[in-house]
Amino acid sequence: MRLQYWPNKRPVTVFVLPDDHQLHIDFAKTILGLFPYQLRRVWDRQVFSGTGQAPITVANEDEMLRRLSTTPGAIGYLERPPLDARIQTIRVR
Amino acid sequence: MHSCLTFICFALMLTCTAAQATESESFWDRLQVHGFASQAAVKTSDNRWFGDSEQTSFDFTEVGLNASMRLDPKLLLAGQVLYRRAGEMYESDLSLDYGLVDITPLSSAEGRLGLRAGRIKNPLGLYNATRDVPFTHPGIFLPQVVYFDRVRNLVLSTDGAMLYGDRYTAFGNFSFTIGNGWPVMDDNVEWAYLNNDFPGDIKANGPNWLASLWYTDPSERFKLGLSGATLSIKFDPDIDGLPSINRGRTDIDFWIASAQYNAEDWTLTAEYASEPLSWRGYGALVPDRDATGEGWYLQGTYRLRPSLGLMLRYEEGYADTADRDGSELEAATGGLLPANLGFSKILSAGIRWDINPHWMVRAEYAYNNGTFILSSRENADFLARERYWNLFSLQLAVRF
Repeated sequence: MRLQYWPNKRPVTVFVLPDDHQLHIDFAKTILGLFPYQLRRVWDRQVFSGTGQAPITVANEDEMLRRLSTTPGAIGYLERPPLDARIQTIRVR
Repeated sequence: MHSCLTFICFALMLTCTAAQATESESFWDRLQVHGFASQAAVKTSDNRWFGDSEQTSFDFTEVGLNASMRLDPKLLLAGQVLYRRAGEMYESDLSLDYGLVDITPLSSAEGRLGLRAGRIKNPLGLYNATRDVPFTHPGIFLPQVVYFDRVRNLVLSTDGAMLYGDRYTAFGNFSFTIGNGWPVMDDNVEWAYLNNDFPGDIKANGPNWLASLWYTDPSERFKLGLSGATLSIKFDPDIDGLPSINRGRTDIDFWIASAQYNAEDWTLTAEYASEPLSWRGYGALVPDRDATGEGWYLQGTYRLRPSLGLMLRYEEGYADTADRDGSELEAATGGLLPANLGFSKILSAGIRWDINPHWMVRAEYAYNNGTFILSSRENADFLARERYWNLFSLQLAVRF
């Protein structure tokens, strides 16, 4: 979440699901060790003080998959591994 | 219970035509536009707070619109305009809230180092940088003994530059900011520190310094911070105007110690602010003196559901720690400034409902003992101030 660019200098674009989406809640709590309200607080502070940008919120997993497959340097999370050669996957849980 | 499988997915850095076709999409992904608007209704039993609140005031409106553009991973441009109406303190005020360029030459998984230049919100305490954005703080009003609304501009933002750094370690995260620049000021500064609007101009005495230091533990549950600014203002009387006070200066050091603990359902926050002040050279109307202002609060928020929260807060603030009951102030001014100007002790309770990610409504009640937090601009008849007063407020806010 903190990294602005990959080692090859390509910018990192982060996609997240809505704050109340069950997968977002689980991802935040088990993988990041944070509560969704803490993430929102950090992003709000950045967005409304001009010190950073917020991840892009997508409506659901279908949109997540579509945006990941068409945005170079993007990162996100899904419940099932996608069958898309343009996307690299790491199983975290 | 659903499956616990989660996959982190990366888009491959393809250079095929399909990926090139989407470069323009990622360009627009780098531009973000956000905004918010809020309207409050304020009712007090006595005294004026954000307008004619004894009759019910609607003179508390905030509207902000911002845009940010990440031109390059190391370069961010950001700006926000703010419209604000706050009783007689801000009657209808449109301002550039911030406008800055942010360069981050160093950024890795271990830390980052960067520089911001332009108009920058001061990172003082937990809330100052986003104090006008209703969604970013519990309660309709911030704890007034630390985040004064009667004189917000002096600490609001700086026209200058700030160096910032973060270090992420196994023991937690450390962050710092150090900056220098000119404070953005207005007439409320004179009302707050000279208790009047004398003929003449009030200006910054020079650029000021500010700094902050933050620590977050590895679980990011516990946060500790220390932040402060040194400010100096001077008053130049009109030469051919009405009789005024002399050319004088007020030096202000302002610092805040902050602590916060975040659990899943509740958050506990405490901050302590101290403000050593000195007045010099104004003449008999505003005699030379020193004082130390002080304020602290303890605030608990409890989330019944993620969208429904309760807030309870107790705060105390003093114009001068050497005169906590205001009796010396009253005696020294022959009763012109009553003792209740010297302190405020406030118990607040509030409820907040986030109807959806865009709309929020909340209600708040506060019991006040003392009038230290009131604006002299709105309550210029000091003898008419009531020591004990109640505040009830409702607020509706939207954001995108």
